[in-house]
Amino acid sequence: MIKVSDLSFSYTEEKFIQDINFEVEKGEIFGFLGPSGAGKSTLQKILTGLLRNYEGNSVVDGVESKYYKRNFYENIGVDFEFPSLYEKLTGRENLKFFGSLYSKKLRNIDEMLKMVGLQNDGEKKVCDYSKGMKSRLNFIKALLHNPEILFLDEPTSGLDPNNSRDMKNIILEEKAKGKTIILTTHNMVDAAELCDRVAFIVDGRIKALDSPHNLIMSKGAVKIKYSYYDGIEKTRECLLKKTSEDYKLKELIEKNQILSIHSSEPTLSDIFMEVTGRVLQ
Amino acid sequence: MRKKNLFVGDVRFQFKYGFYFVYTIFTVIYASLIYVFPHSWKVKAATIMIFSDPAAMGLFFMGAIILLEKSERVLNSIAVSPVGADEYILSKVISIGFISTVVGLIIAFAADISNIPMVAFGIFVGSAFFTLVGLIIASNTKSLNQFIVSTVPIEIICFLPPIFYSFGYEKTFMLIHPGCILVRFISGNSDYLLMLTFILLIWIITVYLIAYKNIKKMLQQTGGTKL
Repeated sequence: MIKVSDLSFSYTEEKFIQDINFEVEKGEIFGFLGPSGAGKSTLQKILTGLLRNYEGNSVVDGVESKYYKRNFYENIGVDFEFPSLYEKLTGRENLKFFGSLYSKKLRNIDEMLKMVGLQNDGEKKVCDYSKGMKSRLNFIKALLHNPEILFLDEPTSGLDPNNSRDMKNIILEEKAKGKTIILTTHNMVDAAELCDRVAFIVDGRIKALDSPHNLIMSKGAVKIKYSYYDGIEKTRECLLKKTSEDYKLKELIEKNQILSIHSSEPTLSDIFMEVTGRVLQ
Repeated sequence: MRKKNLFVGDVRFQFKYGFYFVYTIFTVIYASLIYVFPHSWKVKAATIMIFSDPAAMGLFFMGAIILLEKSERVLNSIAVSPVGADEYILSKVISIGFISTVVGLIIAFAADISNIPMVAFGIFVGSAFFTLVGLIIASNTKSLNQFIVSTVPIEIICFLPPIFYSFGYEKTFMLIHPGCILVRFISGNSDYLLMLTFILLIWIITVYLIAYKNIKKMLQQTGGTKL
């Protein structure tokens, strides 16, 4: 669905992003992870055809990004990080207006509002919405024309845990329908949960690209942490792949003296830090 | 269909954000003033009023409209929709032209200006010209203050010659100026209609092409292309 090869772009003489290569399959959730200013938004702008003077190739649904015709946007939905809504129009009026810009059959507005818990707020002016309500309205605005490719920029930012959970479920439902989703975020928990594959972007380059599971397994070391009683409760840990060398653990197992045992994997955030030397959030 | 929806959306936006309310007040004030003027002044005063306000509505309001759209980031969503720069411009031109013509005609009726079709044509074309100029300035400014400062030289260039022309400096070369042609049209004067419409058309095509280039650039750079 998306194929990017040898992509470079510069705002000035110095290259801002360079040597970007990746492919995204139809029905895949692909995450761009990186700190602010890493080049994630620039990459998204190239993919959505807003920046066209790039070098290399960026092909989306068979069309080079710099040659998009306007009807190409019938199949693209973009949820920007910050709400892009008419504040003095109601939620419903906003959805009707933006929906009317597309020639495709729209999804049912009432169902969409209900999906994100705004069924009782459709007639309120957007300026009376809370930050989270605006984010949810902005999100369904991107889905309204049923696009095949979704670009979501920090979709759960500013949401409480319940709404964040609902939003993530909707994203997974869209994936189940075969939608291709590009998720831009610096929330590692969301990325690990939602994305089939992620690309770590730092200083305009992709530093690593794989599924969250593979990244964790290939880069991180799984540890075992156990506790036992020896006058007082004590805890020890060892690497999973070196359990046979931990004679204390072996002895405790033989004597049935283990009080608790847990394995602990590094998080995606730990791996990001290890690979890029940067900390997110 | 999309063009119609954009137009309806723009009219709704202008209504909800109070633009229609402001012009209702202006219309009442201007129409009342016309009644106060002596009969011999009415047409001239109404022509200047219509030219400087309803016809030029786009120049002043376009700044407010685009800056509001920028501040509410709705241009981001428009930029990634099937709406083209040409459709965006057309919708703004027609929606502002519609309210300008209604307001201008009410003032024209109050002043008893004859040849109303000519007046309506003059107001609408004048509104289109100034809306396009307003779009060019607004697409290149980031704040209302910057917009207001940027319009000052444009106002001097666009408004002074027509005012001189209206008050008797009726030299033929002045008719190269779009404002002078417009005040003739708005006063109901249809002499040399074809030739003057042709000159005005050249002006409008020129400002349209500049506006198109600027709006396209604005939509492509929307969302803040910053390092």
